[in-house]
Amino acid sequence: MKEAISLNVPGVCGMGLHFELDGFRLIYLAIAVLMWSVSGIFSLEYMAHYKKRSRYYLFFWATFFATAGVFLSADFYTTFIFFEIMSFTSYVWVAFDEKKESLRAAQTYLAVAIIGGMVMLMGMFLLYDLCGTLRFDELEGMAGQILKGRRRLQLYAAGGLLLFGFGAKAGCFPLHIWLPKAHPVAPAPASALLSGILTKTGIFGIIAVSLMMFGTDGEWGMLIAGLGLITMLLGALLALFSVNLKRTLACSSVSQIGFILTGIGMSCLLQAAGEDNGLAVRGTFLHMVNHSLFKLVLFLCAAAVYMNLHELDLNKIRGFGRKKPVLMFCFSMGALGISGMPLWSGYISKTLLHESIVEYTQVLEGMKLAGESMPGIGGNPVFWHGAEWLFLISGGMTAAYMLKLWIALFAEPDPDFQAEIDGENRSAESILQTFSGYEAHKDCVKPDAHTSSMKWDFYPKCMRKTSAAALIMAAVLLPLFGLFPHSFMDGMADMAQGFFGKSGHAHLVSYFSAGNLKGGAISLGIGIVLYGVVVRRWMRKDGQYVDRWPSWLDLENLLYRPVLQVALPGICGAVCGFVDRYLVSSAVTVFLAASAVVCRGMDQMADGVIRAARFSTHSQIPRAAAFGTNTEGRGTGGPGSCVRERRARFFSVLARLREQVQRNGRLVEESFSFGLMLFAIGLCLTLGYLLLVFWLQLG
Amino acid sequence: MYEGNENIGMLLPVVLPIAAGAAVLLAKGLRRNRKTLLTLVLGTLFLEAALVVWALYAKGTLNLWQMTDSICLAFGIDEVSRLFAGLTAGVWLFVGIYSISYMKHEQEEHQFFGFYLIVLGILIGFDFSKNLITMYVFYELMTLTSLPLVLHERTREAVMAGLKYLFYSVAGAFLALFGIFVLIRICGNQTFTPGGVIRCLDDGTMVCILRDSIGTERIGQGLFLGAMLCILIGFGAKAGMFPLHGWLPTAHPAAPAPASAVLSGVITKSGVLAILRVVYFVAGPQALRGTWVQQIWILLTLTTVFMGSMLAYKEPVLKKRLAYSTVSQVSYVLFGLSVLQEQAFVGAMSHIVFHSLIKNALFLCAGAMIVITGKTRVEELRGLGVQMPLLLSCYTIVSLGLVGIPPTSGFVSKWYLATGALASGTGIWAWLGPAVLLVSALLTAGYLLPLTIQGFFPGADSPEGRKSEPSVWMMGPILVLTAGALLLGCFPGRLLAMLEAAAASTLL
Repeated sequence: MKEAISLNVPGVCGMGLHFELDGFRLIYLAIAVLMWSVSGIFSLEYMAHYKKRSRYYLFFWATFFATAGVFLSADFYTTFIFFEIMSFTSYVWVAFDEKKESLRAAQTYLAVAIIGGMVMLMGMFLLYDLCGTLRFDELEGMAGQILKGRRRLQLYAAGGLLLFGFGAKAGCFPLHIWLPKAHPVAPAPASALLSGILTKTGIFGIIAVSLMMFGTDGEWGMLIAGLGLITMLLGALLALFSVNLKRTLACSSVSQIGFILTGIGMSCLLQAAGEDNGLAVRGTFLHMVNHSLFKLVLFLCAAAVYMNLHELDLNKIRGFGRKKPVLMFCFSMGALGISGMPLWSGYISKTLLHESIVEYTQVLEGMKLAGESMPGIGGNPVFWHGAEWLFLISGGMTAAYMLKLWIALFAEPDPDFQAEIDGENRSAESILQTFSGYEAHKDCVKPDAHTSSMKWDFYPKCMRKTSAAALIMAAVLLPLFGLFPHSFMDGMADMAQGFFGKSGHAHLVSYFSAGNLKGGAISLGIGIVLYGVVVRRWMRKDGQYVDRWPSWLDLENLLYRPVLQVALPGICGAVCGFVDRYLVSSAVTVFLAASAVVCRGMDQMADGVIRAARFSTHSQIPRAAAFGTNTEGRGTGGPGSCVRERRARFFSVLARLREQVQRNGRLVEESFSFGLMLFAIGLCLTLGYLLLVFWLQLG
Repeated sequence: MYEGNENIGMLLPVVLPIAAGAAVLLAKGLRRNRKTLLTLVLGTLFLEAALVVWALYAKGTLNLWQMTDSICLAFGIDEVSRLFAGLTAGVWLFVGIYSISYMKHEQEEHQFFGFYLIVLGILIGFDFSKNLITMYVFYELMTLTSLPLVLHERTREAVMAGLKYLFYSVAGAFLALFGIFVLIRICGNQTFTPGGVIRCLDDGTMVCILRDSIGTERIGQGLFLGAMLCILIGFGAKAGMFPLHGWLPTAHPAAPAPASAVLSGVITKSGVLAILRVVYFVAGPQALRGTWVQQIWILLTLTTVFMGSMLAYKEPVLKKRLAYSTVSQVSYVLFGLSVLQEQAFVGAMSHIVFHSLIKNALFLCAGAMIVITGKTRVEELRGLGVQMPLLLSCYTIVSLGLVGIPPTSGFVSKWYLATGALASGTGIWAWLGPAVLLVSALLTAGYLLPLTIQGFFPGADSPEGRKSEPSVWMMGPILVLTAGALLLGCFPGRLLAMLEAAAASTLL
C-alpha cells in the first residue's frame, strides 16, 4: 500500500482518537478478521452446550472491535483506550467456566492487565509531558532529539514503563505468568485468540515504542533483545516440561513471543549500528503473522480434543488423534510450521531472524577488526555467537515439545481404551465414562457426535463439517506460505515494513540456500535429540508422562502473590489503619491531657503552698490520714507476694489507664469538646505564630 | 461595590426548596397522604431543576443584605457556580426519585424529605455565594441542615455518627474561620475575583491589589500562609481530607442510602468549593505557588488519596468501603487544585462532576443491593449477577469509571490531573502525584471489582437464583447516572471547553 489512510476523531475521550490504515495494520486487521471468523465458526460447536454462551459471544465480538481498534490506532492514547477495553472484555473468556482454577487464573490475568495498564499510563504521562504529543508520526522525529538532550532519562523512564505495560500483555519475561495459567482454562477458541492475537497487541505497542522512539538506540535494543532471549528460552523450557496440551501451547506462545522480541531488539541494534535492518524487521513481522496462524490452528485442534474428551492431560488424551485424518493433518501443519521445518512458513521467519543475529555478529566482528568496539557485553561478538546458539536451541526445543505432543496424540495408543477412541466400538458413552472428567460435564457432551460422523470417513470423527472446514482452511495457509515464500511472505513483508520505519525493497533472500537450510537442520536435529534423550528417557515413568518441573518454582506463587496480596497490603494497610484510627484522636487526647495538667497545676498553686506548709512548717496533722491507705492484701504473705501484687496492681492500673484513654479518645472525638479543641488548636497556633512574628520583628 | 443589575430572581432557586422543605416538615396535612407528600417533593425538585437551569443563564448579581459597611451577603454567578449548581440540582433530582422507592422501608419519611429539600436550597445558595462571608454562612447552614439526614435512622449508631459529623464539620469551620479573619483583614469582604486579589511582594508582605479595598494594611507572609493552612485543613474536613476525614466512614453507613449518596457525591464537594473559592478567587494561586503551604497541601492530599483507597481495600462493609473511597477520590480533586496548574484545574473540576455521578450511582446501587438482599458485607454479596444483572452491570460500569478505565469518565479526569501535575513544576510532587494516583487507581480496582467478579462469576457450584431487579423508580436514576458517567467520558468536549475557559481566567 502506497499511502496510509488516516482518520481523526477529535474530542472523544478528551484528547480525541487517531486511526491510521497502512500495510502493517491492513494485514493485521485481515488476520484478526480471519482468526475471529475461524474461531467464531468453531465456537458454534464448542460452545453449543454451555449455558451462558450468550455472554461468551457478546464479549467475543466486543474484544474483536477493541483489538481492531488497537491495531488501527495511530497514537498511544488511542492504543491505550482500546487496549484497556480489550483487557477487560477478554477477562470474561478466562473466567468463563467459573471453575476454581479458572477464577484464579482470571484473577491473575486481570491483575496483570490492570497493573500493566496503570504502569503504561504512567509512561504515557511522562511521554506526553516530554513531547506534548502521543502521535506515532510526531514522536518519531522528536524522540531522536530528546535522546541527545538533557531529558533523555525521562524518555527512558517513559519507554521502560510503556514496555512494562505492553510486555505484560505480550507475555514477556518476567510478566509471562498469566499465559500458562489463563490459556488452559479459557474456552479453546478463545485461547486461540488470546495467544494468537491478543499477545500481538502487546507486540504492536513494543514495536511502536522500540522502533519509533528508540530506533537508533543500541542500549534499548540490547534490553529488548536480552528480554527476548530469556523469554524465548524460558518459554520453551516450560513448554517442554508441561504435560498438559493447552499449557504446552501457552508456554510455546511465551517462547515464540521471545523470538519476536529478539527480532525487535535486533532491528534496533542493527539500525543503531548504522546497518540495514531489513532482515530483522521482516523476520519479526513474518514471525508475528506465522505465530498468529500457528496458534489458531493448534489451539483449535486442542479444542477438538477437549470437546470430545474434556481432558487436556497428555496421559489421558493419548492416542485420541489416531485414525482422525483431518485432525492429524491440521495439527501436523501447525506443528511442522512452528518447529521451523523447511517448506513450512515458520522456517522462513525463523531463518530471517537467525540471519539477523548472524549479520549483527558479523558487523561487530568487522568493527573489531577495524579497531573499534562497542562498549558493554552487547559489543562482544562472542555474546552474539552465544545468542545464536540460544536461538537454535530454543528452536530445537520447539521441535521437541511439538514432537512430544504429536506423538502423544497421534502415535501412541492409549493403553486401555484405544479401540473405543478409534470409534471401533461405537458406543460413545462407554468411552466417555472411562474418563474421569465425564460426570461433571454430562450436560456439555453431544451424544451423537461420534455416530453421526461415522458416515463420513473423510471427515474427522471429532468435529462438525463446518468446524473442520474452517480449521482446514487455516491450516492450508501454513504450507502454502512456506512453499511460495517469495510471493506470499515477501509480499506481506514489503507491505508491512513501513510501520517499522523502513522503506524500499529488501534484497531477495534465497531461503532454501545451503547455509540457511543448515541452520534449520541444526535446530531440528537438536530437537530430535532432545526429544529422544530428555522426553523419552527422563520425562516418562512407567509409560506415563510426568511433570518434572519443581512445583514450587512458580514466579507467581513464589513472588508476585505473596508480595502483592499479602505483604504490601498488610504493611500499608496496617500503617494507614493506625494513622486513621489513632492519629487524630490521640493528638486531641494528648493536647487535652497536657492542658488539663497545666490548668490543674495553676488551679492547685494556692493549695500546693498550703500543703507544702503543712509538711514543713505547720506539720501537726498526722501524715497517713491525709492520704488514705490501701489496706487490702496486707499480711497475706511474705515480701515475694507483695512484689507480685504490686506488679499485678501495676498492670491492672496500666490496663485501666489504657481503657480510660481509649474511652476518652472516643468520647472526645464524638463530642463538642473536639470541636472546641480544634478551635483552640487553631487559636494557639495563630497566637504562637503572632508572638513569633512580633518577636522576630522587634529583635 | 457591585456592578450589574440587581437580579432578585436569583433568590428563587434558594428559597423555593427551603420553603417547600419547611412546609413538608411543619404542615401536618401534607404527611398524612404519601402521594401528596411525594408529589410535592418531586414537583419541587423538577421545578428547582428548571429554575437552576434558568438561573445559570441569568446575569447580574443580588445584594441580599448589607449588614455593615464591610459585611454583606451577596449572590452572583460565574462559571464555577454554574458547574456546581447544575450538578447539585441534577443529582438531587435523580437521588430524590430514587428515594421515593427507597424510603418506603424507612420511618418518618417526611422528615427526610423535608431536610432533603432544605439542604438543596442551602447548597444552591452556597454555590451562588459571591463573597467569603456569604459562603461561610451557607457553609455552616449546610452542616446543620444536613445533620438530620445522617441522624435519620435514630439508632445509637446513627446518633453518634451524626454527632461525629457535626463536630468534625464545626471544628473544621472554626479552624477555617481564623483564616477568613486574616484574609478579610487583608482585603475586606472581597467579591470573588478570578485569580484572587492578594499578591506577595518581594519583601515578604501581602497586599491586596484592588485600590478600593478596605484593608490596605500590610501583613507578613507567614501569617497569611498560616491562615491559608488553617483554611485548607478546616474546609478540608468537609472534603474528607486527612487529618479530618474521620467522619466520612462513620456517617455513611449509618445514613440511609440516598443521604449517603448526596453526602458523598455532593456535600463533600462543597468543602472543595470552599477551598477553591478561597485559593483561586480570594487569595490567588500566585500568592501560594511554591510556598511551604502548597507543599503541605499536596502532601496531605496525596496521603489522603493513598490512605483512603488502602483502607477501602481492607474494609469488608460495602457502604463503609465506598465511604473510604470517597475520602480518596475527593482528594484527587484537591490534589488537582493544589498543584495550581491549568490542566490540573480542568482535571479537578471534571473529576468533581464525574466522581459525583459515579459515587451517587455507586451508593444508590449499594442501597438497592442492601435493601433487596439484606446483606451489608462484600463477601456475602455473591452471585448478584444472576439475581440483578442490570444493577450489577451499572455498578460495574461506574466502578470502571472510578478506576479510570477508558472510555468511562474517570479516565479523562485522571489524564488531565496527571498531565497537569507533571507540567506544574512542583519538583518531586510533579511525578510522585501521578504515581500515587495510579497506585490508588489500582487499589480502587481492588476494592470495587471483587463485587462484580463474584457477582457475575460466583463459581460453577453456586446455586441458581431468581431474577429480582430493583423497582423502576430505583433503577431509573441509577441508569441515568451511569449513562451520564459513561457518555461524559466518551464525549467530554463541551464540558472540558467550559472548564478550560474557567481555568484560563482563574490561573493568570
